[in-house]
Amino acid sequence: MTRSKLISLSEAVRRFTWDGMQYASGAALPVGSDAIIFGRELLRQGRKDLHAVFHCNTQQLNLLAAAGAVTKAECGFAALEVYGFANGLRRAVESGRLALEDYSNLSMPLRLLGGALNWPFVPATVNIGSDLQYRSAFAPDDYPARSKIPEVTDPFSGRVIGALSPLKPELAAIHVPLADPEGNSIILGTEWSRFELSRAAKRVIVVADAIVDTACIRQYPNLVRIPGLIVEAVVYWPFAAWPQSSPGQYDSDEEHMKFMNKALATEEGTAAYIRDFVESYDGIESYLDRIGREKIAALSQSVTSFLLDPYRKWILPPEEIAQLQPSAEAA
Amino acid sequence: MSEGGSLEYSRQEMMAIATGREIRDGELAIFGVGLSMLAGYFAKACHAPNVRVMTEGGVYGATPAGGLPWGIECNRISANATSFTSALDALGFLVASGRCDVGIVGAAQVDKFGNVNTTGIWDGEIGPRYRPPKTRLPGAGGANDIACGAKRLLIMAAHERKRFAEKVSYISSPGYLEGGAARSRFGFPGGGPSAIVTTLGILRPNAKTKEFELAAWFPFSSIEEIKANTGWDLKVSAEAHIAAAPTEIELAALRQVDETGALRKN
Repeated sequence: MTRSKLISLSEAVRRFTWDGMQYASGAALPVGSDAIIFGRELLRQGRKDLHAVFHCNTQQLNLLAAAGAVTKAECGFAALEVYGFANGLRRAVESGRLALEDYSNLSMPLRLLGGALNWPFVPATVNIGSDLQYRSAFAPDDYPARSKIPEVTDPFSGRVIGALSPLKPELAAIHVPLADPEGNSIILGTEWSRFELSRAAKRVIVVADAIVDTACIRQYPNLVRIPGLIVEAVVYWPFAAWPQSSPGQYDSDEEHMKFMNKALATEEGTAAYIRDFVESYDGIESYLDRIGREKIAALSQSVTSFLLDPYRKWILPPEEIAQLQPSAEAA
Repeated sequence: MSEGGSLEYSRQEMMAIATGREIRDGELAIFGVGLSMLAGYFAKACHAPNVRVMTEGGVYGATPAGGLPWGIECNRISANATSFTSALDALGFLVASGRCDVGIVGAAQVDKFGNVNTTGIWDGEIGPRYRPPKTRLPGAGGANDIACGAKRLLIMAAHERKRFAEKVSYISSPGYLEGGAARSRFGFPGGGPSAIVTTLGILRPNAKTKEFELAAWFPFSSIEEIKANTGWDLKVSAEAHIAAAPTEIELAALRQVDETGALRKN
């Protein structure tokens, strides 16, 4: 067995996060994979003044914004797809409490790629000519903005294009369906930008729905898009993306997606949501109780369940994971 | 609607079918969620069985299973994919590269040069200093990248006066910018929007000025109704005509894709 990097969720947040930090989420759009449980723990530990780097808004950013824990955010898409506007984020932006810098769904991964490769900038052939280039929420007086996506001349053709700033977030909490104890991770479904993010971030924590034996990783090394050698810590937490989905393991919880978004539309609703779904559990088992065991069973009946089949035999039981993790019960 | 013939169909269904008709068999196509996905998969189910479909999440070769997906990465569209890659791959390697033939995007607000606003609604002009919108909208998402890179762009929007503006307050995704040759100075591989398909008709850009003009109205609408619901002085193209009502085959194909009836709700 390789060296275990498994630590508890509370320890991961205690050790690797701080107020005012640039925090990135590794997700797959607003309905898919995301380490939402990590955002809940950020609130439990009272983190604030976060600068959020989210390729797309998710229920995590929606919750953190609603709770007032985020003062700056950058993303390519700020809603919840067919679930509608993200009420918590929307409220924070409209009130001026949170400055949201707009990019697009390609310029965000390009900026992460730039950070990962240590490029000074990334040539932009998208976002130019639109208000994504000319308007900046971080520098509102700079108009047309010169600091956000400044013009740069292609030295070969003479064409004027844009320069995207690279991103190197201080921490990325990346949701994966499967990781081994060292952090070698397999993604099912679109990886979205988790590959680029894992290389761009200064520190990476993977938050895994299931832990597999390293023999699984050795069977499918081509599928390991996040290798353990760039992972700082591994957090085991089933249903970590709830109420969003994790292909192969569970569907999005339609009822809770709507309930949560409705709650986040008001201060009172947000306080009640935090009381009931952020502060109300003291570990994995009571978290799963909070979701509801019947709900867990129903969400697990996913049309994508077959995607997990090749890996099932290597999934470690909770007792074995506990042995690989110091102070597991302190989660 | 029944004015146009014997079939009953909704305005949204007509819009989806008219959009789908713009897609040709064999094309490499990218769809967003909701309406644009229904229009795209309608084309695949009807007249373009070999259209090569991808989402901006990098989900390839999939068709929705079990209802309209909640997102482009929803498990409903991850259940029968033949490839999962990434945003950089789909929006970058296949769209920004200029390889993608056609993309479909929605618009909260669109102007006479086909510029799209999906970012926010302000009370009047934003002004020289950027300020938060009165109503924050979803943002550009992948639409900006598709508007820059796809060879043809199809824009879908409910035809209401407040949505069809002389000038959008914020350009989230570029159409023809200030019109004429304005777009060409950015060297985008994409040719710009080829049609704005609405709940009332179809607008197409004038070849020279790039101003959108009325190209077709639907069996249940009229030139007058469309002009009254457009926020600029809409010109009517010399070739303007009535669009064909949905055929029985088209309607059956659309409803097979829209099995939860999302397009029949209003």
